[in-house]
Amino acid sequence: MSIAVFLAILIILAAASFFVTAANKKAGGFATVAVSLFALAMVLSMKGSVGGEQSFMYLGFSITTVGWYFSVVMLTAYSMTSFFNPFWMKKMIYPAGYNFLYLVSMAGTIGMFFAGDFITLFIFWETVVWSSAFIIQQGKSRKASYVYYVLSAVGSMATLFAIMLAYSVSGTFVIRDAFTGLAGSPGTALVVFLAFILSGLSKMGIFPFHVWLPEAHGSAPHTFSPVLSGGLVKMGAFIAFLSVTAFPAYEIFGDMLKIMGIPAPIYFLMLLGALSIIIGTLMAIKQEDAKRLLAYSSVANGGYILIGILMLDQVGFAGGMMHLMNHALASAAAFLAIAAVAYRTGTTKMSEMGGMIHRMPVTYLVYLISIISMAGIPPMGGFVSKWLVFQGLADKGLLFIAAAAFFGSIGSFMYVFRPLSAVFLGQLFTRDKDVREVGFFMMFPMVVLTLLTLAAGVFPNIILRVVTEIQKSAGIEPVTLARNTIVTTNGFLDAFRVFIVFGFGFAIAFVLFIVRRKSRKVGLMDTYTSAEFIHTPELLHYSHSFYAPFERLYDKAPDTMNMYKKISAGIAELGGLVEAVFYGGKPAKTIFWIMAAGMVFFLAGGVFR
Amino acid sequence: MNAMNFVYGFLVLVAVFIFQTTLTGINRKVTARLQKRYGARWYQQFLDIFKAMRKDSTSHGWVFDFGVIMALGGIMATVIFIPVAGFEAFPGLDNVFVISYLLAVGMLGMAMSAAGSGNPWASIGVARALTNMLAYDIPLMIVIFTMIFAFDSASVGELAAMQQGMGVLGWNAVRMPLGGIVAVIALLGMLGKKPFDSFIAPAEIASGPMVEYGGKHLGFMFILHEFMTFIEVSLILNLFFGGGATIWEYMLKYAVLYTFTTIISGVMPRFKIDQAVKYFYRVPLAMAVVQGLVVIFTGLGVKIWF
Repeated sequence: MSIAVFLAILIILAAASFFVTAANKKAGGFATVAVSLFALAMVLSMKGSVGGEQSFMYLGFSITTVGWYFSVVMLTAYSMTSFFNPFWMKKMIYPAGYNFLYLVSMAGTIGMFFAGDFITLFIFWETVVWSSAFIIQQGKSRKASYVYYVLSAVGSMATLFAIMLAYSVSGTFVIRDAFTGLAGSPGTALVVFLAFILSGLSKMGIFPFHVWLPEAHGSAPHTFSPVLSGGLVKMGAFIAFLSVTAFPAYEIFGDMLKIMGIPAPIYFLMLLGALSIIIGTLMAIKQEDAKRLLAYSSVANGGYILIGILMLDQVGFAGGMMHLMNHALASAAAFLAIAAVAYRTGTTKMSEMGGMIHRMPVTYLVYLISIISMAGIPPMGGFVSKWLVFQGLADKGLLFIAAAAFFGSIGSFMYVFRPLSAVFLGQLFTRDKDVREVGFFMMFPMVVLTLLTLAAGVFPNIILRVVTEIQKSAGIEPVTLARNTIVTTNGFLDAFRVFIVFGFGFAIAFVLFIVRRKSRKVGLMDTYTSAEFIHTPELLHYSHSFYAPFERLYDKAPDTMNMYKKISAGIAELGGLVEAVFYGGKPAKTIFWIMAAGMVFFLAGGVFR
Repeated sequence: MNAMNFVYGFLVLVAVFIFQTTLTGINRKVTARLQKRYGARWYQQFLDIFKAMRKDSTSHGWVFDFGVIMALGGIMATVIFIPVAGFEAFPGLDNVFVISYLLAVGMLGMAMSAAGSGNPWASIGVARALTNMLAYDIPLMIVIFTMIFAFDSASVGELAAMQQGMGVLGWNAVRMPLGGIVAVIALLGMLGKKPFDSFIAPAEIASGPMVEYGGKHLGFMFILHEFMTFIEVSLILNLFFGGGATIWEYMLKYAVLYTFTTIISGVMPRFKIDQAVKYFYRVPLAMAVVQGLVVIFTGLGVKIWF
């Protein structure tokens, strides 16, 4: 099946889901499950047809390994999250519209990843931005969707400008040719490079564009946040990928100032990635809402992905490419777990919950494994990809970027533990005594994502084999893989053996535990309280301002959102000034003076030339 | 990987337990002498552990038990990966990132179990412990990163072996003096020795994470603490003080380094947790960055050395 037909079918099915939902909400939700699973199956079956070029009217498609890989990541997030849709329909304002846009944005991402030329890329990019902007609006706040749309538009317009500029020099829209034609004019190339990658940076939430993530992820419908963080953010990674591979950045900027062997413009972007890691981590630590916290963690993880991809080498690049899959799996699972809790308790505020583990143990395990992966702890997938990024950085000696990467890695222990402790552990609130675990249909996608995360950590080479193909197609040396082992210049990693030894240690500890006398089970309130008498579980739960002493150290730091607000206030003021001058007296008079000034200017120009 | 690896791994665990617990007992005596006490007998630590394991215990739910098992399991797996005087039960798995992040599994298990007890003191302790980790780990990781860049290896065993054969001059602590100081300060933070012990602070937050443990759970925590101490001291010993060519040399150096931290701890007051963060991000972080820049840009200490 050609891509165009496939996309057309998806859009028709999306429209059909609109009418199905209008007739029966729940059936409409199940329709999104069926359609997204169908799309996933179709894309998985397209692995064989890599290398093909197709066109339909003015749209051009090319099936590449990297497009296939990104589509699989995206559709995994979409299809797994769709399992939640049927149960949330009654909470939506416009359920039919939601299902329609959900599927349209999904089709848009596929079209974008398989785009063969820039016009196709841009059309589908905008399709996704528009449809997702209308979905976000159906959540908690409309403002979130404005912030998301404005920052996306800044990126999109810059990218459109870059595409047009590249066209004016090289005369083609075909992705690879349009950029390689710039080799002769490095000045234009630099502008094109920075403008083109801007949409990627804004989508990935790289500093200073990160402000939309907490707004949008935090207030989007609970069933869309996993897609946003697990899927749509990765569109930015695709743009970053194109900026260093389709755009031969390392060759074009080869004569420029180099910092540790990296051309200055690329190093500058890496620094932005490093800043995103630090800011994302610090902000995540002090959030009180679980979804906003995870959104900031996506900012930090976006930094790792960007740094990895920009390195464009044997090891670090593989790490970045693998990390986007790992983060998609882990982040989607974590958001789904929070959504599951919100489904039962109706809140995502961490201080309003506690002890959910005693009511929702499976959701707890899902969240636990996803955060282990997100924090980069073995034996989960996130460890392998972060390990690769660290090895790549150590190989090149990029000290400051590595320092940020370490900071984000250790800092992530702090912020991922917070929902674990505040929502799932600690005292069970009286209000939530009768909460039940979510049903099988909602549990299923969470468990699947969890198992995939574990598989990525134990058998990372399954994913890395695809990454090596991408590396070959990008013309760089692929990462060396033995049977279960990843080999780098600084050493090797056998993730399977690490897992086995961990299991061995766990088995010894388990045996030691069960041979000792069985312990007596006591309640959660039966604890040492320094001789106070406390009978309310809510009062014995430590969750608000969890890291207060640490937060105090940077609570006076400037906030990016305030900076944007100041800029917007400044623009509004300037507009007010212009308006006052223009309409202050009689508009005709103002026009007269403008023309007079213009004529004086022209005349003066003639005299002084 | 065959059955012998697992047998060796098990023997390593037993040997490390006996060695480190003995050393802890001796160090209790050292602390006592610093405080002009006589101190308990050198084998008191064994008695404490066995006593705890034999007693009745209470449990606050399945995660309280599961966390303890996961913690000890993760820490024991990490111990098996530590190279001791050139010996590794599972050769080739001693990558420094694997060790430092596998250690985190154990820590996460411990934190989970402690927070699962429902006691707010425990949660406060965990919050402090994680903050403390963020403080000491960044300077240390920068120095280790520099070392990996300079010697083109991330294997702890290889890095230790490279320092041998030149006597004291071969040690990374001498080649990279600022890095060596950072490592020792970070070791104090890792071990939770004073002045960086605010997360266990017994009189203030009732021993923090440990507050609810008793019986076999407490016994597990004691064992875990011995293993964790071994991992942390060994990491610094192997990376900065040349490990040991023979097992005896290794044990001697280890005992000296560990006792040194005890002595420092014995005469120090306690930092508040935010003071600890500020301290680590001022002095050791600056030293680590200077050390990193010196090694990366001039090669002094690595390429330029005797």
